Amino acid sequence: MTDVTAVTMKLNGVTRTASAVPPETTLLALLRNQFNLTGAKLGCDVGDCGACTVIVDGNAVNACLMLAAQADGSDVLTIEGLATLERLHPLQKAFEDNASLQCGFCGPGVILSAKALLDENPDPTQQEIRDALSGNLCRCTGYTKMIEAVQVAARALRAKPDA
Amino acid sequence: MPRKTKLADKMQRTLGQAPRSTGELARVPPVTLPVAYPIEALVPQVRLQTPAVGQRATRPDGRLHGLGQTRYIDDLAFPGMLYAKIKRAGIAAARILSIDTSEADAMPGVLAVLTGREIPVNSFGPSLQDQPVLADTQVRHAGDGVAAVAALTEQIAEAAIEKIKVDYEPLPAVFDPLEALREDAPKVHAPAGNVYATKVIRKGDVDAAFARADHVFEGRYATQMVEHVPLEPHAAIAMWDPNGRVTIHSTLGRITLGRSDVSRTLKLPMNRVRIVATIVGGNFGGKNEITQEPVLALLSKKTGRPVKGVFTRGEEFTSTTTRHPFVMDYKTGVTKDGRIIARKVRLVLDGGAYCSWSETTLGKACILSAGPYRIDNLRVEAYVVYTNKTMTGAMRGFGAPQVCFAYESQMDEIAAALHMDPLEIRLLNAFEEGAASPTGQVLHSVVLKASLLKAAERFGWKEPRS
Ligand code: FES
Ligand code: FES
Repeated sequence: MTDVTAVTMKLNGVTRTASAVPPETTLLALLRNQFNLTGAKLGCDVGDCGACTVIVDGNAVNACLMLAAQADGSDVLTIEGLATLERLHPLQKAFEDNASLQCGFCGPGVILSAKALLDENPDPTQQEIRDALSGNLCRCTGYTKMIEAVQVAARALRAKPDA
Repeated sequence: MPRKTKLADKMQRTLGQAPRSTGELARVPPVTLPVAYPIEALVPQVRLQTPAVGQRATRPDGRLHGLGQTRYIDDLAFPGMLYAKIKRAGIAAARILSIDTSEADAMPGVLAVLTGREIPVNSFGPSLQDQPVLADTQVRHAGDGVAAVAALTEQIAEAAIEKIKVDYEPLPAVFDPLEALREDAPKVHAPAGNVYATKVIRKGDVDAAFARADHVFEGRYATQMVEHVPLEPHAAIAMWDPNGRVTIHSTLGRITLGRSDVSRTLKLPMNRVRIVATIVGGNFGGKNEITQEPVLALLSKKTGRPVKGVFTRGEEFTSTTTRHPFVMDYKTGVTKDGRIIARKVRLVLDGGAYCSWSETTLGKACILSAGPYRIDNLRVEAYVVYTNKTMTGAMRGFGAPQVCFAYESQMDEIAAALHMDPLEIRLLNAFEEGAASPTGQVLHSVVLKASLLKAAERFGWKEPRS
């Protein structure tokens, strides 16, 4: 409708450009519709649920609240960029092993919030994990198995930091 | 080819799977980014082990969830797909005098507009078909849809529904279920009265038993409306094909029922309706019946394109079913040693604007309203009434949690008044093996007392509390 802009970002380690982004486009819409990265979900569109969480320059953010243009020049990690060809990220493995997700809709957001936490704080207390996940709503699980999984992953990462 | 072999090796190394042929490998769906997962590894192992209790279980879909590779409806897109938005009434009760869609229709990027009059059979519902797909003559709650558009983008669709002008004649509304019971209350579905289903259970001689009781306790308990709030909003994509068939990808949890509702509302034979379901991002009873599916189907028919609709979080609250608020009057006659000998229950269910699963909820609530207690003399009367609020329907328990709140609250009050331990009074009255439910069903595998005792022991019920 109004002027479109180009947005360039490092997305899961690869430089990507969207050439014609309308100014009202959120980062979430850009990731999902333009780059076909549908791991980040639209749960509320107002910053309440955390289903849209991605990591921008090391911080977990609600992609529904950030304009795509604001992410220009940033380093963005989505759930799709967390695993490698060789293996799952320890968080993903722990979430699977502990059956931490049920319907799974909140999962990508929760895992990325946990990842941002562990990057900052490799040995979080249970309370710190709860605080880090407080912006991620889950309607199915009751959270306990997620918290256990984050603890398991934290232990695994401490034992083998580059794992 | 060399890359494929490498991929196979790596998956094998990572996941400890037996070697597989490249033919099998080719069946693994492509992924956006370098993540490999063998679908075969997802077969749950736990079902092969007996007994399952005490075994560690993972979910077959757990890995894809964690990888962000599970595809929910809103993660799907089809070439040429349009986006639909539904205009909501925003008024609780009104006659619709006119709907003017001309301005929306003329907007660039809007490909079709739809109103309720264009829907072949504009009513649906699992027991009473009292709900319009889009309200055409009358609005009965603020979340009623009154028109819909399909446009090239969500933004255009959003802007277009703002341009639709609806002329309303406001009608008196009723929001309280007890008020809705009164003779002079506004009638939500005039000329019919507001009570749309009732149920009565009678057992023994309640009046005589009350006369015998040492104590009689009376109380009113009420619960509120609850929305399911699945993290995934309702979403669907409809595609009408040139052979006159419609395919609908939907978050519906009950696709068979959904299929018959779509076939009925569209006046299409069932064999022309295909519903495709996928993993649902939370249901809890709120995705048990159609919402926007016929609307999307007709918009697709008008445009020849796939049409997607995703509810906003606001619409989830105003325009999808919720849990029934209950007003519950309990009168209970007890002997001085704490045995319940008589109970009278009156339930008034706030049914919202449309029936949905109210009849099921009413039935189950009645049967369970006496609690898991042996009560020889019982009378239950229950009504579900229309109000000008969001419709109430299926939600986990179908009325069981509401009545549980009432009978257990009263149980605590009785225990306190009789200076009894709340656990003791429950053990005294609890169902035992072979007990009969209020409707005469003989119950087996009743372990209520054992469970209560075990639970009390485990959380230290007898220990002094501060
Ligand atoms: S969709 Fe962004 S916080 Fe809910
Ligand atoms: S697993 Fe369903 S919302 Fe978290």
